Amino acid sequence: MIEFKNVSKHYENGTIALRDATFKVEKGEFVFIIGPSGSGKSTLVKAMMKEENATNGDIYVNDYKVTDLDRRQIPYLRRSFGVVFQDFRLLPNKTVYDNVAFAMQIVEAMPKEIRRQVPMALALVDLSKKAKAYPHQLSGGEQQRVAMARAIVNSPCLLIADEPTGNLDPDTSLEIMKLLDEINQRGTTVVVATHEKHIVDSMKKRVIELEKGVIIRDQKKGFYKNEA
Amino acid sequence: MKLSTFRLMLKEGIINIYKNKLMSLASMTMVIASLIILGLFLLFALNLIVNIEEIKKQPEVTIYCDHELDEEGILNIERAIKEDERVREYTVKTKQEAFEFMKDILEENKDVLEGYSEEIMMVSFEVSLYNPENSPAFVETMESIEGIWRIKYSQEVVEFITRLVYWVNLISIFIVAILLVISVFIISNTIKLTVFARRKEVGIMKYVGATDWFIRWPFIIEGIVIGILGSIISYILTSYGYNVLESAVNSGEFKSSLIFTGMVKLDIIGSQLFIIYAIIGTIMGAVGSIVSLRKHLKV
Ligand SMILES: Nc1ncnc2c1ncn2[C@@H]1O[C@H](COP(=O)(O)OP(=O)(O)O)[C@@H](O)[C@H]1O
Ligand SMILES: [Mg+2]
Repeated sequence: MIEFKNVSKHYENGTIALRDATFKVEKGEFVFIIGPSGSGKSTLVKAMMKEENATNGDIYVNDYKVTDLDRRQIPYLRRSFGVVFQDFRLLPNKTVYDNVAFAMQIVEAMPKEIRRQVPMALALVDLSKKAKAYPHQLSGGEQQRVAMARAIVNSPCLLIADEPTGNLDPDTSLEIMKLLDEINQRGTTVVVATHEKHIVDSMKKRVIELEKGVIIRDQKKGFYKNEA
Repeated sequence: MKLSTFRLMLKEGIINIYKNKLMSLASMTMVIASLIILGLFLLFALNLIVNIEEIKKQPEVTIYCDHELDEEGILNIERAIKEDERVREYTVKTKQEAFEFMKDILEENKDVLEGYSEEIMMVSFEVSLYNPENSPAFVETMESIEGIWRIKYSQEVVEFITRLVYWVNLISIFIVAILLVISVFIISNTIKLTVFARRKEVGIMKYVGATDWFIRWPFIIEGIVIGILGSIISYILTSYGYNVLESAVNSGEFKSSLIFTGMVKLDIIGSQLFIIYAIIGTIMGAVGSIVSLRKHLKV
């Protein structure tokens, strides 16, 4: 599903954000990428999406060799998974429904298919009643749920989230995590980058810990702090 | 592209035109100005060319015999004309006919001819050649024959108009090229506004896996719709103006003038003109968008 082989990322300004990162995520797993701010979590996510190019090493995601991918192939790589960000990234002048439908329009899904899938995705995140609302009319947690509906509406087998609860209060954060867990239960591989202790501790999932770009821990059913 | 996707993008493009009303209007005005000026030059050149064709069909060469020339000498000249292979047809104007023609022209003032007879007039031949370009050589041959007073030919007019068409074309290409560049520039600025307004959206589209073309098309459609609307308006304005001019000219004084044979009816050329407008309008719109996308949107 995901494989990093000795991946390093050196930014132009000399910052080394990832050093020799190697790990593997199998189908159906739920994985936290943790570490303090600046430890390289977002860089790792960006490298998977090929928003940034790894300086060294090989990355495989969903049968794509990301590190050798042609520019024109990037959209197809990104369609093979869903992404959720800290800042939601919804289209402000589209309704909730249209925001979710948008992800399907991009892949040129049949209108009939769109009309079938979008309500299902909205139901899963419990936002059926808000289909006609605009993002600014929603709370942060609701906006993030719209983003999650958009991420899963094409039924990807992988969902990547970078600080999905970073802008949310603790209770709402737990709600979002429950939703991610539910999506994972349905067979989708989930990778969540976060620096929030309480959500990691509440889930007891696999933890990959970064420190200054180095993977210092990769633990099954781990906590935020290494207690082993 | 699927039909449903196309519909989506068309809607998007039109909404954006509406959102940038002012700039869209400015772009359209430029498109209209360029197309109308282009159209004026095209129509002007076309009318000149059609008139040249008409003039070429007119008897190009008129040969006047010395008025003292005897029967024998006139027959000699006629034989030379008849036997020349460049001649398509010719007619003889006798002294009598010339005298009548003169009287016609003078009308009320024909008293001035009082006391004169047709003897003062000359026999003339109106000669039509197969190829008007041969007329200078033909004239040279004729000039070597005894008893010719003067030879006139319309080649001069033809050459003048040909030169005029050449210059009209050259100047129009130049002016139209400048206008096209300005239009493309203004369209690209209009699209730039949309691009800036939608930068964030474009970023999100990329994250969700939109291809570059999926992102480009709505902007290109926006440009093309501006171009096509501009060309439709240009055509309406041009055809209205042209029809007014054409009916005034073709019913008026000009019509009877010797060299001018009248303006071409728009029915004959209207559809071609519209197609030219539509194609150029579309290209301007598309190029304007692409220029803008290349500059402001790295897709
Ligand atoms: N575009 C960039 N150019 C230069 N340095 C960057 C860039 N993005 C991130 N960094 C640096 O790389 C390191 C890792 O950043 P990041 O991956 O965002 O960490 P995290 O998401 O864990 O907070 C930081 O030191 C950050 O300053
Ligand atoms: Mg980060």
